[in-house]
Amino acid sequence: MQLQKKADMECVVQGIIETQHVEALEILLQGLCGVQRERLRIHEICLKNGPNLGLVASEVRLLCDLEQTEPSWTVRHIGGAMRGAGAEQISVLVRTMVESKVSKNVLRMFYTLGYKLDHELLRVGFSFQFNRGAQITVTVSSVNKMLKLHATDEAVPVTPGIQMVEVTAPASAENYTEVAAAVSSFCEYLAPLLHLSKPGVSTGVVPTAAAAAASLMSDGGGTTL
Amino acid sequence: MINILFFITDYLFVVKLRRVEREEQLWGLGQCGRKGETKKGRRMEGELVQQQQERLNQAVQQQLNLEQVKMRAISLFKAISRILEDFDAYARTNTTPKWQDILGQYSMVNLELFNIVDDIKKVSKPFLVYPKNVNADNATILPVMLSTKLLPEMETEDTSKRDQLLQGMQNLPIATQIDKLKARLDMIAGACEGAEKVLADTRKAYCFGTRQGPAIAPALDKGQAAKIQEQENLLRAAVNVGEGLRIPGDQRHITASLPMHLADVFTVNEGAQSFPEGSSNNAYMKNTPLSSNSMGGQNSLLQTSGSQLLGRSAASPNVATSATFDNTAASPIPYANSPRSSTNMMNTPSPQQQTSQQQQQQPTVQQQQRQKMMQLPQQQQQLLAQQQQFRQSAMQGLGQLHGQHQMQFSQQIGHQQFQGRQLTSGHVQHGIGQSQLNQGNQMTRISQFSGAANNALFSAAQTTPNTQMIPNISAGISSQSLLPRMQFGLSGNNPQRNHASQMLNDQMFSMGGGNPGGMMSIQQQQQQQQSSQGAFGGMASNAQNLQSGMMTLQNTQQNHPNFSQQRQQNQQ
Repeated sequence: MQLQKKADMECVVQGIIETQHVEALEILLQGLCGVQRERLRIHEICLKNGPNLGLVASEVRLLCDLEQTEPSWTVRHIGGAMRGAGAEQISVLVRTMVESKVSKNVLRMFYTLGYKLDHELLRVGFSFQFNRGAQITVTVSSVNKMLKLHATDEAVPVTPGIQMVEVTAPASAENYTEVAAAVSSFCEYLAPLLHLSKPGVSTGVVPTAAAAAASLMSDGGGTTL
Repeated sequence: MINILFFITDYLFVVKLRRVEREEQLWGLGQCGRKGETKKGRRMEGELVQQQQERLNQAVQQQLNLEQVKMRAISLFKAISRILEDFDAYARTNTTPKWQDILGQYSMVNLELFNIVDDIKKVSKPFLVYPKNVNADNATILPVMLSTKLLPEMETEDTSKRDQLLQGMQNLPIATQIDKLKARLDMIAGACEGAEKVLADTRKAYCFGTRQGPAIAPALDKGQAAKIQEQENLLRAAVNVGEGLRIPGDQRHITASLPMHLADVFTVNEGAQSFPEGSSNNAYMKNTPLSSNSMGGQNSLLQTSGSQLLGRSAASPNVATSATFDNTAASPIPYANSPRSSTNMMNTPSPQQQTSQQQQQQPTVQQQQRQKMMQLPQQQQQLLAQQQQFRQSAMQGLGQLHGQHQMQFSQQIGHQQFQGRQLTSGHVQHGIGQSQLNQGNQMTRISQFSGAANNALFSAAQTTPNTQMIPNISAGISSQSLLPRMQFGLSGNNPQRNHASQMLNDQMFSMGGGNPGGMMSIQQQQQQQQSSQGAFGGMASNAQNLQSGMMTLQNTQQNHPNFSQQRQQNQQ
């Protein structure tokens, strides 16, 4: 019997892709992952604690999955990223992350504790979850903002022409190197379409994206070897 | 094509791509010793010659990245086998395959293969391959794979086609042959273009999606790249930090319609404000529903009125209809000295909430009161009407009032018993009908129920000094009916009372008109009545009640056992 490893960290990379190439990316991911895509519609509420609550600023994210018939809530706390020379050599970001399913009273509970709403956003897109050296989740979504408080039906994209791609994998302190390697090797497959980098590091678009997308979308008759 | 790739990778499997000091030759590589080779190649050649060791140049090694190529090839293999399996499944179950998906997967595989081969081509220049891993399986096919000559069948096919092409032109000089072939090519190209055009037009006409992707777009120019960079920064900042997503505080009020997943989560406005600020007040408002008991006969009116005054210290006619307000537990109104009660008194809802509540509540209050009016005998109805009007005017004043009402109450009352206590409007309610009760006794009892609640209402009482609106009554009231004591024309035994009550009457009637000016008159009364406060001690609280609005009357419907007893005492 294996002891369940406590996965309190995650490896994460982010990238951007132009909206016109999202379909091609989906085809590529479909082929690479071998699983069906899952639709994604998540209302993310970010709460920060007030000045009277503790010495350290703390931030908590509540994710409400609106895709299910019964909205399910998750609370997530993202900690600091690993630092140091070793961390710089890894091409993915490794950071502490704790996640848990919660009931729908979570928002009220945090307000009662003194947390205040900092910002909220709505992610609409799809995701793939598969195992390739590690349990990897790829999320492609358009990030929408709400002009009125909690008006998820009236959300508009922050950047209409660009969508966010995130590749994450849970890890623990013992195995994060392997997980990081698995994630980065998977990312190489996506190289024709987009570049992925640590959150906060900007990458720009890939020059071959258009051609790769065209090739993916076409019936494949064009290229000869 | 795929076979070739696997072939190559099979050989590559024996490659050990590391900087090892071993003598072992990597793939039995023969370094291309051609003169035109790059410096790297020559260097490597030199090395080979000198050391009999093989170290691939670091750059080439990195570019080649054999491990990665191997992995890519394997995954490609898996993808293809997956597709084949899918086809198998389709064939077996005899279902129609989803061509869209299959074509998508195929194009993915195609792209990947193309990329791998392309990558290898780039680095294959300095290398040549020679078979190392030859066994029985490979031996027969090996020469064929390595040869560059066409297979015999292909060769014959090729020659026959060539003959066909040059049929009429064998005799002519080469130049003319070339020209003629060119002309033919041009014609065919023209025909193809025409056909493509027709296809494109038809597609547009029938709105087919173009599976043929666009021609390779030119590289992004600087302007576009800058725009994209800017957008990217926006997006990354929004996701990671929340830039650009924060709504300023003044816009953070909940819209009328919350999405479904939040509808039952929210109770009051969140955002910058603390969450539970108004909820307790609202609770009080809501938990003291309008007494809707039917008024009994005349006698019962008074009896019930007194009892109700005692029992329902916090009866509130306000029914919060706003959906956003929380249903907290019933407020502990009966406990005058409980911390919550006092707190609640101090925490008034914000003016916005108050006014909105009142606006919502006033119509309902009016409705309910109207219902009761129907049931009351006429006199009572009159009084009720007056009181209602007064109350409403008082309620309108509520929005501007905050806080301190209780303190003022206690101050104004001046009765010893009330000092130090926080008289809430609960006292006020006890008012009417209790005046006949013994002041001393009554006081204690009343103060018990002072409780909190109805802060809103009581805040009105605050401005109108607690007075003495006491209509009542007390012993002066003829025993015939308690009702008259509600009315202001008391012919009580107590001259003082009469005096005061007459004053009150005047005031009350004037107030009955529902004019806010009535509030002023009450103040006058208060001054006068304070002089005779002893007698009116018990009435002081009642006066407050009256001011805060005749909810007392509404509260009178509850039966309080003490009251009837006391009344008997008084009358006796």
